[in-house]
Amino acid sequence: MGRLLAWRLSGKGHAITLFEAGSFDMPPGACHTAAGMIAPLSELVHCPLPVYELGLQSLRVWPQWVKELELQTGSPVDYRQSGSILIAHPQDRTELLQFQQELAAKLGTESQQHFQWLERTGLQNLEPNLERFDQGLYLASEADIDNRRLLPVLLTQIKRRNAQLREYTPAECMPGQIRHADGFEQFDCVIDARGLGAKKAVKGLRGVRGEVMVVETPEVRFQRPIRLLHPRYQLYAVPRANNQVVIGATEIESDDLSPISLRSSMELSSALYSIHPAFAEARILETRVNCRPATMDNLPVIEHEPGLIRVNGLYRHGFLLAPAMVQQVESTLQQQTLQVT
Amino acid sequence: MDQLKLYGKAFDSRLLIGTALYPSPAIMRESVAASGAQIITLSLRRQSPEQQQGKMIWDYIQESGCQLLPNTAGCKTPKEAIALAEMSREIFHTDWLKLEVIGDDYNLQPDPYGLVESARELVRRGFKVLPYCTDDLLVCRKLLDVGCEVLMPWGAPIGTGQGLMNKYNLRTLRERLPNIPLIIDAGIGAPSQATEAMEMGFDAVLLNTAVAKAQNPVLMAEAFKLAVASGRAARTAGLMLKRQTASPSTPTLDMPFWQQAPVAGAGEEL
Repeated sequence: MGRLLAWRLSGKGHAITLFEAGSFDMPPGACHTAAGMIAPLSELVHCPLPVYELGLQSLRVWPQWVKELELQTGSPVDYRQSGSILIAHPQDRTELLQFQQELAAKLGTESQQHFQWLERTGLQNLEPNLERFDQGLYLASEADIDNRRLLPVLLTQIKRRNAQLREYTPAECMPGQIRHADGFEQFDCVIDARGLGAKKAVKGLRGVRGEVMVVETPEVRFQRPIRLLHPRYQLYAVPRANNQVVIGATEIESDDLSPISLRSSMELSSALYSIHPAFAEARILETRVNCRPATMDNLPVIEHEPGLIRVNGLYRHGFLLAPAMVQQVESTLQQQTLQVT
Repeated sequence: MDQLKLYGKAFDSRLLIGTALYPSPAIMRESVAASGAQIITLSLRRQSPEQQQGKMIWDYIQESGCQLLPNTAGCKTPKEAIALAEMSREIFHTDWLKLEVIGDDYNLQPDPYGLVESARELVRRGFKVLPYCTDDLLVCRKLLDVGCEVLMPWGAPIGTGQGLMNKYNLRTLRERLPNIPLIIDAGIGAPSQATEAMEMGFDAVLLNTAVAKAQNPVLMAEAFKLAVASGRAARTAGLMLKRQTASPSTPTLDMPFWQQAPVAGAGEEL
């Protein structure tokens, strides 16, 4: 969120100073841990309608922003709008029907235009490696982005625009000023996008633990994110470059940042293995744990006063909501500037 | 007043509700309020209770003012369940406990042996144990023998929404344990199933998924509140027995006798 904001605002001529509590290469925020899905429909069953609407807005914005960024830097960020596929094992087929029912309940008849039932052949045509499955739902409009490519590319462009970059600088955000270990710094406006770092400043903000694994195998290839629906846990598998797949994610009501639990790794691994047995020989490259910043209603929040805008609570929807929230911050900032003028 | 009495405490509501799986904590709290529940269950197992890292959400749940019933969901051995029970007591300052010891991963069936062993020890340690058990009469008796004062037999496996799968066993429990508070726990998917449980004479119903996973959890919570109250009222009022012969509720003095259903007899097939 912070980097996207800095990129947008620096592009509009604002002089930016970007603070990072950790390192820019391995930032501690959830954005570095996420799988980068931009999936408003898949998420609709887990979230209130405003998240879906903001997600649609983001989905419209992402392609243009990615194009601009790639042109500016010459570096691809692997944005892919190839849809996503939802599957369930035969004994859990009710989960697909339940998903369809929930979509219809929230979107009415409009829901029909957003998904397509796939039988075996259709499924195989899109994803040959889903040979164990006879049925699935295809959500053609959904997208995903490789966050681990996007974040450094954004930073490159922010640097080129002569922004001040300050890593390892945990800071407190106040109207018109930042306080950190070396004292106070004054600014026209402070934008607080610290996620859980702003826990004391944003009422009701909590952390929701998520655990993710990255595996590598040349034997199974997907073209788009796959979601396995199951009564007890949900698994997504997002294909990345170099035969890698990001799988996740648990959701535990806890601020706990300790390493992944054996149970979670078993649940994620076995769910992945159940999609295709060749995953048994996949190599586990990485496990990631982070806490998503969430409000009690799981909706994002923007609070503002003169000289300070706080944006937070993006929960499990960081990349889904980021452009829409950036646009709201831009609009708030513009209003503040007009008032000052 | 027709109150539910458990371990010396009286409750107006006969619906107990879980706090997991809701779209958000705010909707969870609204749903609890709409359900009228006065006892709510919550789980600690995956939230690193030693570090208190789920404190924020626990505090939020506690603000409901309901009697908390911490559970040992996810525990598979008496040792795990007892350790978690002790942590729950320390965190929530209550000795009430929904005891779960799971014996089978696939259908989450309670392990009767581990359950009885855990219950014995927890009762000894002063816990008020509400065990989640199967509908087996002998297991239920053993749980009573070790000091449980309330039993919570399943209607069906957790989260299946299958309703009361083995009515024969459940009726047997009700008939053979007439003075023990019996709460149907798990497997209830529809308000009509909750009503049925109450009509059968069960003292209360505990559920979670059917409300939390509804498209409108708050409205579903209210539906269950009405269903449980309705079933209880029906049980108290006295249900009529089913009959073979129709008995009109309005006078039919003008109906000639030959319009009655034919009596099986000469030349007629049954």
